[in-house]
Amino acid sequence: MRRSLIHYWRPHLAVVLGAAVTTAVLTGALVVGDSLRGSLEDLTLDRLGRIDWAVVAERPFRQTLAADLAARRAGAHVAPALTLRASATEPASGARASGVALWGVDPDFFSLYPSLEPVDLATRRGAFPAAAVSRALADELGATAGSELVLAFERPSDVPRETLAGRQESSETVEVLRLTVDRVLPDRGAGGFGLAPRQTRARNVFVDLRRLQRAVLARGSPRVNVLLGAGGEGESATAGLEADLDAALRLEDLGLSLRCDGCREGAEVITVQSPRFVIDDVRAAAVARVAAELEAPMQPVLTYLANAISIGGRSVPYSTIAALEPPAASALGPFRSIDGQPAPALAGDEILLNRWAAEDLAAAAGDEATVSYYALGPRDELATRTRRLRVRGVVAMEGLAVDPYLTPEFPGIEGAEDITAWNPPFPVDLSRIRPQDEAYWDEYRATPKAFVGAALGRELWGSRFGSLTSIRLAAPPGEDYWSAKGGPGKEGSGKEGSGKEGSGEGGPGEGASGELGAGEADFRARVEAGLRRRLDPHTAGFAVRALREEGLRAARGATDFAGLFFGLSLFLIVSAALLAGLLFRLGVEHRAPEVGLLRAIGFPAARVRRRFLGEGLLLAVAGAALGLGGAAAYGWALLAGLRSWWLPAIGEPVLFLHLRPATLALGALASVTVVGAAVAGALRRLGRAPIVGLLAGSIGRDGRPPSRRPLWIGLVALAAAAGLTAAALGAEARAAAGLAFGVGASLLTAGVALFAHHGARKPLRANALGRGGAATMAVRNTARNRGRSLLCVTLMASACFVIVVVAANRLHGEIDVADPASGAGGFSLVAETDVPVYRELAAEGAGVAAALGGARAVPFRLLPGEDVSCLNLYQPERPRILGAPPELAGFRFVQTAGERANPWELLAEPLADGAIPAIGDANSVAWILHSGLGQDVVMENERGEPIRLRLVGLLGKSIFQSELVISEAQFERHFPSRTGYSYFLLDPPPANADAVAAALEKELGRLGFDAVATRERLAAYQAVEDTYLSTFQTLGGLGLVLGTLGMGVVLLRNVLERQAELATLSALGFRRHRLRDLVLLENAFLLLAGLTIGAAAGAAATAPHLAASGERLPWPSLALTLAAVFALGMLASTVAVRAVARLPLLASLRAR
Amino acid sequence: MTTLRLTAVGKTFGAGATRVEVLRGVDLALAAGDAVAVTGPSGSGKSTLLHIVGALDRPSSGGVEVDGTDPFALPERELARFRNRTVGFVFQDHHLLPQYTVLENVLLPTLAFPPPPAGAEATARRLLERVGLGHRLAHRPAELSGGERQRAAVARALVNGPALLLCDEPTGNLDRTNAMAVTDLLLELEEERGKLLVVVTHSAEVAARFARRLTLVEGRCVEA
Repeated sequence: MRRSLIHYWRPHLAVVLGAAVTTAVLTGALVVGDSLRGSLEDLTLDRLGRIDWAVVAERPFRQTLAADLAARRAGAHVAPALTLRASATEPASGARASGVALWGVDPDFFSLYPSLEPVDLATRRGAFPAAAVSRALADELGATAGSELVLAFERPSDVPRETLAGRQESSETVEVLRLTVDRVLPDRGAGGFGLAPRQTRARNVFVDLRRLQRAVLARGSPRVNVLLGAGGEGESATAGLEADLDAALRLEDLGLSLRCDGCREGAEVITVQSPRFVIDDVRAAAVARVAAELEAPMQPVLTYLANAISIGGRSVPYSTIAALEPPAASALGPFRSIDGQPAPALAGDEILLNRWAAEDLAAAAGDEATVSYYALGPRDELATRTRRLRVRGVVAMEGLAVDPYLTPEFPGIEGAEDITAWNPPFPVDLSRIRPQDEAYWDEYRATPKAFVGAALGRELWGSRFGSLTSIRLAAPPGEDYWSAKGGPGKEGSGKEGSGKEGSGEGGPGEGASGELGAGEADFRARVEAGLRRRLDPHTAGFAVRALREEGLRAARGATDFAGLFFGLSLFLIVSAALLAGLLFRLGVEHRAPEVGLLRAIGFPAARVRRRFLGEGLLLAVAGAALGLGGAAAYGWALLAGLRSWWLPAIGEPVLFLHLRPATLALGALASVTVVGAAVAGALRRLGRAPIVGLLAGSIGRDGRPPSRRPLWIGLVALAAAAGLTAAALGAEARAAAGLAFGVGASLLTAGVALFAHHGARKPLRANALGRGGAATMAVRNTARNRGRSLLCVTLMASACFVIVVVAANRLHGEIDVADPASGAGGFSLVAETDVPVYRELAAEGAGVAAALGGARAVPFRLLPGEDVSCLNLYQPERPRILGAPPELAGFRFVQTAGERANPWELLAEPLADGAIPAIGDANSVAWILHSGLGQDVVMENERGEPIRLRLVGLLGKSIFQSELVISEAQFERHFPSRTGYSYFLLDPPPANADAVAAALEKELGRLGFDAVATRERLAAYQAVEDTYLSTFQTLGGLGLVLGTLGMGVVLLRNVLERQAELATLSALGFRRHRLRDLVLLENAFLLLAGLTIGAAAGAAATAPHLAASGERLPWPSLALTLAAVFALGMLASTVAVRAVARLPLLASLRAR
Repeated sequence: MTTLRLTAVGKTFGAGATRVEVLRGVDLALAAGDAVAVTGPSGSGKSTLLHIVGALDRPSSGGVEVDGTDPFALPERELARFRNRTVGFVFQDHHLLPQYTVLENVLLPTLAFPPPPAGAEATARRLLERVGLGHRLAHRPAELSGGERQRAAVARALVNGPALLLCDEPTGNLDRTNAMAVTDLLLELEEERGKLLVVVTHSAEVAARFARRLTLVEGRCVEA
């Protein structure tokens, strides 16, 4: 074999080169996949520094939790941080950037980046507090060290903004911080830090943590909303983290506090309240469970502010009313009527007044009282409502009736010296305050003046944030818990030695009494321990994020780049492999007599095949070894393309070459297999070729009639195309795309097979040597070596198929964004704000209303998350979610779970299994989320509960490619803390869109309003697709070059093999130019056959897509491209034509 | 003692209108020690007959037996072994492989069913000495004259000691001097070996050297 390899080194070298190209392209595609993953991993690791995990909370929590957690994790480094979404402005230039992450950090944070020079943000060196900004933000704002920055952001609030107690004017919620840029941090490293994996450059601003806390948080113990952790002993940096967090949390971290002032008379009582003003259902349920476990009498209370309680012509302004049931146990305190009898339970239309109110209103039992109060409707609609109630009685000013803890701390009211000092988040008419009201305030503060039934309270004042403001618990009867400790005035929010580990062994539902240590043997401690056991970090809004693990997992990418570029390079790979096989086959054919001899002297056919296969495999291995260098070069070239010409596909130039030995080995092995298969295919006929024919130099099927197999293959392929077409009609987007390609491939196969069948039977006419005879001869000559001709036709047809398919898929004419059925849904602008808006956009000021000019602004709730569009290279795990308002309509749906005039209504229809209806863009769902209609996307809601988003509708090329959309009601249910609206669709006339956007950005700059034309947004998504198609075209073009090269080789070989034949024709009177014409005609015929078959198959495969999009193939430009392909092919044939000109025809004739 | 028997062997090529019947019931019986020249005009089927005898091509009808065995009834591998061990072929074109030396070319048939028989190389050297190429062992075919190449091909055909030596126009590409030398060599070797030699030739001069001559006429074999 070695001798053969050396002796035939020239043809073998060609095979080696073919195999090398195959290896380079195939392995190069895999290298691109590795490079994507490697680059994203590098980005992740750079971004995180030493950070392994994060604890993130919906609301700020005490900063000392960081130290508590670090103490429980040996060797761990925990840095507290406060992060807010902000918009930044560089005042000198007016440059503005939205979506800025503002981080309040201390030196602990920067110590997580060992290579970073020390950053001191606590020391003011400029006019304003020091800030470090990321390079990306600095570039965007044109800021440098010393520049001033103005940051605007929403001040965090414990009380939900969408409640009466939390309501605030947007102007009051926005905080502005003026900073001096002290450092510009590189994008790689701390500058690029972020909780979510992303390849885009991070817009970060870092400020001193204490400075930010002072600016945005209420006085008191410092609070943060993120803990960043690194290291720690154990097998994993995050192992046991949730348990440690659970153990380290205090009741205040869980959003509850205990007040133990007791009633003024009677038994001691603990009042459970929440800094959120209302107690949500989860926490209320936990309190109820604990009360049941302790057998402690419980009394839920909902206290609300009435604007007035009126009877007849008298009215008491601004009074609190408590909704409760009379205490079930005396331990909860006396609640008596003025006649000394226990206060009665109230029906839904009854009210009890306290003695003070009754006297002030001159009310008596049976009177009709009118209660007026504010109700907060959707989008901050503040309405005054009234309710007529019958006075059931009057309660004495004692016991429960005068418990000041019935009213939690009301923002803007609590702490006021007198009523006129109130500053509540809603309008009050202080002129209505009378001296007696002030006197009541002085003595009883916000103690309720009236009481209604609990059910009525829930009906009137309950909300999605909760239906209670406090829960009163009394020590169980017969047990003197209070005798040991506790007393009036004690605020029971601290841990005080009652660590959670004491309850760690007991699971939910177990009684607490047997598990508490001696230090918890008092009622308050037992309540606290019970609540901490019942409330885990998830339900309290804490989330533990294994940032490093998540990042590395996400770095695998949403799109399998190895598979993608393998697919994009497939034509090139097949071309190279076929070329290698062709070259090998030509070599084998040249050695046909050798094969014949070996078989004649007794070598079994299989052994001869193995011998040649061995040679071929050795050549393939040599080619693979050579091609590995080419693979690196090919991968590098593709990555260079992705960083430059094809940049829109990846957004940022973040991909760099990563070579992994295992991938190179896999690529080489795959290439050897592919080339080996091509070689085996080339050798297939050796075993069947007659020995005598081989000895004569032929491996053809001499003497046998043409096979009908091509005809059958063609018919089967046609049937397959028909079947696949039928299947594609009802398939979902992703499957349909694959099926459409299958239709094309089948048609291609059918075309080539039928060409083979026809070419074998083309009769030579009697006038072959006359007019038109040359063409007939040329056609017939192509059947002389059918295999080679078929190969040429196949390569050409495949190339044209690719060209036509790509051209069809690039069709996306001008989108009419004003069309409600377009991907923009009739909206010409899409906008986001850094600070949520709580009312209709037009209500944000006259300037805003004027800027809108009557345009509709549809608001969406927004859960920030990972972009699920093709713009995100990472695999998203936490999709961005939009909560759509019920009035949404329009857009183009490609698939829905049910027929509806307005498919958005599907979002409001409950699903039997509790899944949440969701709508997404078909492309994002298919290619990024790898899901489909009727399938579920699983994620966690705000309480850490798994929720399933069931896809009930898929949109076609819409502006919702970066997110999933659910109903606003479902959003509010599962993400109650995400208040306000941060995402808007606006429908000014497209011609005015830019002007409207500019005006709104100016008016709403304080909210970080950032509008983009939907046309631009759609174009950004489309650019990715177009870029991949360009890549496909480019790589397909390279395949075409290889195919053309192969065709040139075949033609040259044909000519050389036909020396004697051509000499004979010459002797018969054919002049050389006619012989050249004959060769050219042969080539032209093969080219035209390939072009026709490929174009027809491509047109058929894309017909469904074109029919759906209403587009037409751009035949003029396509015809030009195909003509160029034809010209290239004809150019290749000139090599063969030149050979004809140089042939020693006379010598050939003599030899014959 | 080796016997060769052909019974009503027929061979046709093509089908339908293009059907050509080359052999029409050839009967032939030969035994070891026979040296036969087969002559006939071009297209008479001489080579076809030889290919059938050597199991390179199958007859369309009739039967072939070598020592009572029908080689075409053998499985593929055994048929190959038959060609390797029982038949030695010399072609008009020598078909020496250009990448190998003369000695290696002669050794080639011994490699078909490894391992090669013991003493194969010694046999090859002896044969090459015998055909007058002892001094050309390490030469490549391209370095030999036409006559030398054909003699090397004869040595290759004999290296496995075949019972049948079949030569298809072995002198067709040689000048008269070399043609006579090769013919004499074949006859000498036949005499030394005492086996069976069939030579197809269109040269009357070559045929005249053989004691028994057959002619193919209209697809049938007759004694000349």
